[in-house]
Amino acid sequence: MNGAVITAPFLLRMPLLTINNTIKLNFMLRNISFFIVGLSLFSCNKIQNNKEEGLTIKIPSYFPQPTYKFINNPLKKATFEWGKKLFNDPSLSSDGTISCATCHAQTHAFADHNVPLSAGVNGAFGNRNTPPIFNMIWSKNFMWDGGINHLEIMSVAPLTNPVEMNESMENIVFKLNQSDTHKTACIKAFGTSEITDAHLLKALTIYMSMMVSSNSKYDKVLQKKSNFTLDEGIGYSLFLAKCNQCHTEPLFTNNSYENNGLDLVFNDLGRGKITENSEDNGKFKVPSLRNIMLTYPYMHDGRFWSIDQVLDHYDHGIVHSPTLSPTLSNGISLTTLEKSRLKAFLNTLTDQELIGNPIFF
Amino acid sequence: MKKMNQLVFTAIILGITALSSCKKDDHDHDHDHDNQTGTVVVKMEHVWGMNNAQFSLNSTLVHPMNQDTMTFTTFKYYISNFKLKKSDGTWWTHPESYFLVDQSNASTMNLNLGSIPTGEYTEMSYTLGVDSIKNVSGAQSGALSTANNMFWSWNSGYIMVKAEGTSPQSANGSFAFHLGGFSGANNIVTQKTVSFSSNALTVSHDKTSEIHMTANPAKLFHADPLSAGTMVMMPGIKAKSMATNFYGSFAFDHLVE
Repeated sequence: MNGAVITAPFLLRMPLLTINNTIKLNFMLRNISFFIVGLSLFSCNKIQNNKEEGLTIKIPSYFPQPTYKFINNPLKKATFEWGKKLFNDPSLSSDGTISCATCHAQTHAFADHNVPLSAGVNGAFGNRNTPPIFNMIWSKNFMWDGGINHLEIMSVAPLTNPVEMNESMENIVFKLNQSDTHKTACIKAFGTSEITDAHLLKALTIYMSMMVSSNSKYDKVLQKKSNFTLDEGIGYSLFLAKCNQCHTEPLFTNNSYENNGLDLVFNDLGRGKITENSEDNGKFKVPSLRNIMLTYPYMHDGRFWSIDQVLDHYDHGIVHSPTLSPTLSNGISLTTLEKSRLKAFLNTLTDQELIGNPIFF
Repeated sequence: MKKMNQLVFTAIILGITALSSCKKDDHDHDHDHDNQTGTVVVKMEHVWGMNNAQFSLNSTLVHPMNQDTMTFTTFKYYISNFKLKKSDGTWWTHPESYFLVDQSNASTMNLNLGSIPTGEYTEMSYTLGVDSIKNVSGAQSGALSTANNMFWSWNSGYIMVKAEGTSPQSANGSFAFHLGGFSGANNIVTQKTVSFSSNALTVSHDKTSEIHMTANPAKLFHADPLSAGTMVMMPGIKAKSMATNFYGSFAFDHLVE
């Protein structure tokens, strides 16, 4: 409750264009109360949201409320700018060779450059495909196994993992405190030159929170600013019938963990490693399909190079194991024509505005 | 339209409530300014075994029960959420008390609870570990900073007890126990209460009172000798067993006023 109120001044809702009058009315009502609660907040809390410092995240009306509430970490331009500096700074890694941006490239919706696995410090490889970074403020848990429970502490894992950036938080804090550039940026963001891990994690959070993918053709169609082609439209209907149960719109994930029939024997337990429950073995987080055409190869280990291989897998490649998602027990039958129409629809989920957004340059 | 009016009305009420609660907060700051305070420090002492042998890092210790030979290189744990019960039955609560006790740094064994209203106190309550809220609330600072290497990055949560070292009883020569878990059956967060028995703790103006406590790290291995495994890296049954035994060894020793 509190969090929603604190976030309120920063989250502008886009005009709703929908077919349904009831939804329209509800939206209007919601916005009125939103506005009034927001006003009452302005009158007593001092939140840094003047026009110089504030940042705005535009959230389409058909999106749910974000999970991340910006508590003790308001959306500020200075925090974003420091976050950008940190995200692109290879000195955060143990040998100064790898930054966050090395494996999270804007051109690829902040995933890696179309490689199955990413190279870390000393050429080390992990065992999972680098996920893209967008719409993180709607996520409750992070990574393929959902082992991380908060956006602010997500960055600790890649920063400290020996096969990624291989650095200790202690030493990162030490190095940043030697840098006048970072100290100046920290003053602007948090009012102190004494950099702590909490500062840098919060700055990275603000930077990543601005990576919102909500301007694909699919979005423009929902907003009545564009129309699907015939193939895209039929593909959308097919998608709703065959894929939406797990890749649920508008975020294109239901945030659950599923075994989608890749293996009989799991050399990566996935979710089961986190919960220590054998019923979760071989399950991984359902990834968003937004920007999916930019982020091949696919699956948690990057085993499928093309979307065709993925569709073929669901059509006739499902491997039956005890934890297989019940929705996949018969596979998802797709004709050649259906596959091409599904692909036409999946193409509409590419967000050129995200990958071309100059605020990240 | 009727529905709309109702909602707008609700929204206005909400707004007014938010406003008035803010005003209340402002008033609350004026309280308790003229009260006198003293300082309370909780002093931790670690002993090895029931005979109160000295516990220290980098020295060879023999476990009193299972005879395992152990040399500790790291011994750290979290202790938090201190509260003191006044003789009138009310509780004083430390506002933000998370301490990381680190055997390698003597100053961390003295937990300064800060300024406390003068008076008589009969009981102390504290928590071993880090409460679940702090485990799920994002980036923290101070004792809870991730830079203290007491946080699992890949499976979010605090390492609440960390004991590492070497032993000839270990096949690879070393042991490492990282104990944690804040939810469900694996929850090791434990609240403890100390009664100062017949002598109440007196907090006097501008004076420091000490509460001396002891804990026995040998208890970690009471039910889980090195022969049963030399490594724990995540929450689970074994972490719970080791932590429960160790936490059971925390005891009040004496007061210095």
